[in-house]
Amino acid sequence: MIAGMRSRVVCAALVAAAVTPACNEGLRPTTCPGICGTVTYQGSLPDSLKDSTAAVLIVAYTTFPQTPADLLHFQPPIPAFVDTGGPPRRYVLQVPNGTYEWVLAVWEKKGGSLGPQSADSLLREVGFYRDAGDTTSHGTGRVHVTGTGADSINFVIDFTKMHRICNYFPPC
Amino acid sequence: MLRRLLVFGLLAAAPAPGRAQGTAVVYGTVRDPFGGGVANASLFVPGTALRTTTGAGGRYLLAGVPAGRVEIRAVVVGYPPAVRTALLGPSDSLQLDFELRGLVVPPEDLYVSTTQPIIVTAAKRSQLLDQAVTSVALVSDTDLARRAVSTVDEAVNRAPGVLFLNGQVNIRGSSGFVEGLGSRVLLLVDGVPANQGDRGGIDWDMVPLAAVERVEVVKGAGSSLYGSAALGGVVNLITREIPLGLHGRVRATGGAYANPPSDVWRFRDYTGGLGGLDATASYGRGALRGSLTLGGRHSDGYREQDRSDQWESAGKAEWQPRPGTHVTAAGSWTSHQYQVFPTWCVLGTCDTRGQAFQPFMIDSSGRGSYTRSNKGHFAATLDRTVSTGFAWQARGSWLRTHFTDVNPDNWAVANRWGAELRGVGRNAGGRVVTAGVEAAHGDVTSDIFGDHTQNEVGPYAEAEQRIGRLRLTIGSRLDWLAVDGSERATVLSPRIGVVVPSRVGTWRASTGRGFRAPTLAERYVSTRAFGFEVIPNPSLDPETAWSFEVGNALPLRAWGRLDAALFWTEARQLLEPTFVLVVDPVTKDTVQKIQIQNVSRAQLRGLDLSLTVTPLGPAFTATVAYLLLDTRDLATDSVLAFRPRHLFTLGADYRWHALSVGGDFRYSSRVERIELEPVFGGDPRVAARVLDLRAGWERGPLAARLLVTNALNYIYNLVPRTLEPVRTFSVVLTWTY
Repeated sequence: MIAGMRSRVVCAALVAAAVTPACNEGLRPTTCPGICGTVTYQGSLPDSLKDSTAAVLIVAYTTFPQTPADLLHFQPPIPAFVDTGGPPRRYVLQVPNGTYEWVLAVWEKKGGSLGPQSADSLLREVGFYRDAGDTTSHGTGRVHVTGTGADSINFVIDFTKMHRICNYFPPC
Repeated sequence: MLRRLLVFGLLAAAPAPGRAQGTAVVYGTVRDPFGGGVANASLFVPGTALRTTTGAGGRYLLAGVPAGRVEIRAVVVGYPPAVRTALLGPSDSLQLDFELRGLVVPPEDLYVSTTQPIIVTAAKRSQLLDQAVTSVALVSDTDLARRAVSTVDEAVNRAPGVLFLNGQVNIRGSSGFVEGLGSRVLLLVDGVPANQGDRGGIDWDMVPLAAVERVEVVKGAGSSLYGSAALGGVVNLITREIPLGLHGRVRATGGAYANPPSDVWRFRDYTGGLGGLDATASYGRGALRGSLTLGGRHSDGYREQDRSDQWESAGKAEWQPRPGTHVTAAGSWTSHQYQVFPTWCVLGTCDTRGQAFQPFMIDSSGRGSYTRSNKGHFAATLDRTVSTGFAWQARGSWLRTHFTDVNPDNWAVANRWGAELRGVGRNAGGRVVTAGVEAAHGDVTSDIFGDHTQNEVGPYAEAEQRIGRLRLTIGSRLDWLAVDGSERATVLSPRIGVVVPSRVGTWRASTGRGFRAPTLAERYVSTRAFGFEVIPNPSLDPETAWSFEVGNALPLRAWGRLDAALFWTEARQLLEPTFVLVVDPVTKDTVQKIQIQNVSRAQLRGLDLSLTVTPLGPAFTATVAYLLLDTRDLATDSVLAFRPRHLFTLGADYRWHALSVGGDFRYSSRVERIELEPVFGGDPRVAARVLDLRAGWERGPLAARLLVTNALNYIYNLVPRTLEPVRTFSVVLTWTY
C-alpha cells in the first residue's frame, strides 16, 4: 500500500516537473519591439489636403540621409501608418536594435512613383523626434533601440507646419 | 431450452457474490466465421477483473457482471476482438453471442503474448501488433472514450510520433506544412483511401468521431501495399462494429474558450463558446445490422473570424447472408461552413494597438473570408472467408469533396471512384500471401484547378514466410498513373521486412519505397498567393522515398510495453512551391511567379520511442512517447522546414470506481526553420507546451466528462501567424442505451 502511494507521488511529481516549465514561456504581448510612442495631432487635416493625402507614416533612419536617394532607405521596410487626426494614438516601428539618427513623421501625396527625383514633390516632413538638448539644424534626436525597445518617442503632428524635403537637401 | 437449463444450473451453482444484488449473468457462444463454436476464447469486461474462457462448443458464462451498461469483449488468438455492449438490470441473465470475423491465424503461428492488440492496416490483413514489420501506433476505443475528444484529428494528434501542424498530419515529420496541399500521409476509412481527389489533403471531418471505434497509424513508407500518398505513413479509421439488438448513444458537448490572457489582445466583449450534439442508433437482428449517426456542432472560435458550423452524418449496414460471407455498406456526409482566419495581424495589416502583432486578430485583407466545404464517402465491401486458408475481399468506393471559398473566391468539385480486389491465402507451412489490385479514377472541376481526370491502377502482392521463429516479408506494388488520358508515371514500390522474437523483445527491421503522385491541384493550380501569380506545372513527377527502420517491442512483464525504433528516410523529388522567372507574353517583362516543382531532396532520421505502463494494475495507466527528429534539406543543406526536433508526450489516467482523472502533456520544440523566411522570418516562434486535463464519472448508461485542453492557456503557434487553440473548458455528457 505504501509502495503504491509512493509510486503515485512519484508519478505526480514527474507530471508536475514536466508541466512546470510550461508556465509563462509562450507568446506574450510586446511592450515595445523597436521604437514606440504616441502621435498627438495639433488640429486636423486641412480640407485642402484631404483629397491629395495618400498616407501619414512614421519611419526611421540609422544615419541622417545625405542625399534624396538616401530617403528611400528607411526602416522598417513596411512603415507604421498613422491616422490624419483624432485623439493621440500609439505607434510602433518594428526595427532592429541599434541607433537611429532620425525618426520622423512623413506626409505622402497621392499619385506618382516615389523616387529620388519625386521625393520633394510627394513627401513632406510633418514632425520629428528631437532631443531637448539637440542643436543641429535638422533637429536630430538619436534613438537607441535595445532589447527592451525605445518607448516614449513621441511626436506632435501639425499639418499646417509641414516642411519640404528640399529644406534638408538645399537648394529648394 | 437445454441452454436455459444449463444456465439455470450454473446460476444455482454459482458462488454467492455472483448472485449479489446489482449484478447480472451474461452467457452465450463464441463462433468462428463458419458458425462453429470456438473453445478457449477469452471473454472479459474491460476495466474490471471479470474474465472467463469458453468451453467446448464455444459456450461461456460470466457471472457477477455489474448492472448497467457493460461492454464485453471476446478475444481469440488470431482474430480481431469481438465487442458487444448490453444494458443489464440487477439479476438479469442475458444471452450475448459473439461472431468472429476475418481469417484465423493458426495457433501454431503464435508464440507471443495473446493479450496484444490485433491490427489490420500494416499488412492489409489481421495480424498481431508485434508481427508487423513497421511501427504501428494505436488509438484504442478506450483512449477515445477517456479523452472525450470531438474530432478525429484531435484523437490522432496525441498518438506517438504524430504531430498536427494547423490541420496537416505529420508522422515522424513526413509532411511538414504546405497549406493542406499534398499530404504525405494516406487516410483510410475502414481500409478505403479517403484523401481528397483534387488537392490530396485530408478532410479530418469526413467521418464523425462518434462512428470511429479505433485508429491505427502505420509509420514509414506504405506504398508497397497502398500506393500513392502513403509516402510517410497511413492512418486508418476503423468504424464501430454494429451489435445485435437495439442500441443508441447520445452525446452532448458544451464549453467555452478562454479569453486572451492580456487585455491588449482582447478582440471581443464576450466569451466564445462551443457546443455539439450527436446521436447514434443501431439495430441488429439475425443476418442484418444497421447504424446511423447524426450530429451537429457550432463553435465561436477562439480567435477573431473563427466561427464554424458543421452538420455530419454516417451510416453503416451489414448483411451476413451465410457463414463466412459479409456484405458491408458504409458512408458519411459532412457539411462544414467556417470562417477562415487568414493570418494574424502584424504592423500595417490592422490596428495592432501598439503591438508588433495581434495573435487573436486577423490581417484585415482577409476580412470576410469563409469556406463552405461539403464532403462525403460511400464504400461497399464483400468479404468472403472461403476456408481456414483463404479469404478474399472486393470493394467499391466513392469520395466527393466540394469546397467554395469566399475572399479569395475559389471553388472545386472532385470525385474519386475506387475499386479493389484482394485475396489472403495461408498454408500450413507458415506462409501468408496477400495479393490484389486496386484501381481509382479521379476527376476535378474547378475555377483554379481546371477540368482534369486521373486514373490509377496498382497490382500488389506481399508474402510472409515463417522460418523457425523468424518471419520474413517481401512484397511490391506497381502503380500506373495517367492524367487526362496520357500516362504520366509508372512507379515500383517494393518492401522487405523481418520480425524476430527474442528474450529482449521482438525485433523488427524493414525497408520500403514510398511515393506520392502529384495531385491534380499541384499540377494545374492557377491562382494568386502572397501577391504572386501561381502558375501550373503539368509535367511534375512523383515524389519518392526509401524508408529504413529497426525497432524492438519489449513487453515489461505484465505491466507495460516499450517500443523503440530507429528510422531513416531518404526522399527525392519532393514537391515544393518555388519562385520562377517568367517572361510575360504581353508586356515582355520578366516577372517572378510561383510554381510547384520537383526540387527538394531530404533526409529524415531519428528515434521513435513509446512506453505504456500499468504499474498499479489496470486502474492506472501511464504513457510516455518521445520522437527525436533529425532532418536535412539536402538541396539547401539546412534543416527541413516545419519539423520540430523534439516531440514529447506524457499521459496518465487513474480510475477509482466510477470516477476517473487524467491528463496529457505535449512538448514540441521550437520550429527551427519555416518556409518563406523573408516574409515570416521575423515573426516570433516558441516551443509548444500544452497540458490537457480531464475527469470523468460513469454510472450505468450515463457518463460525464470534464475536459480542460491547454489548461495553462499557453499561447503559441506552430505555423506562421496562426495561433493554436487556447484553454478550452468542455463538458461531455453521454447516454448509452
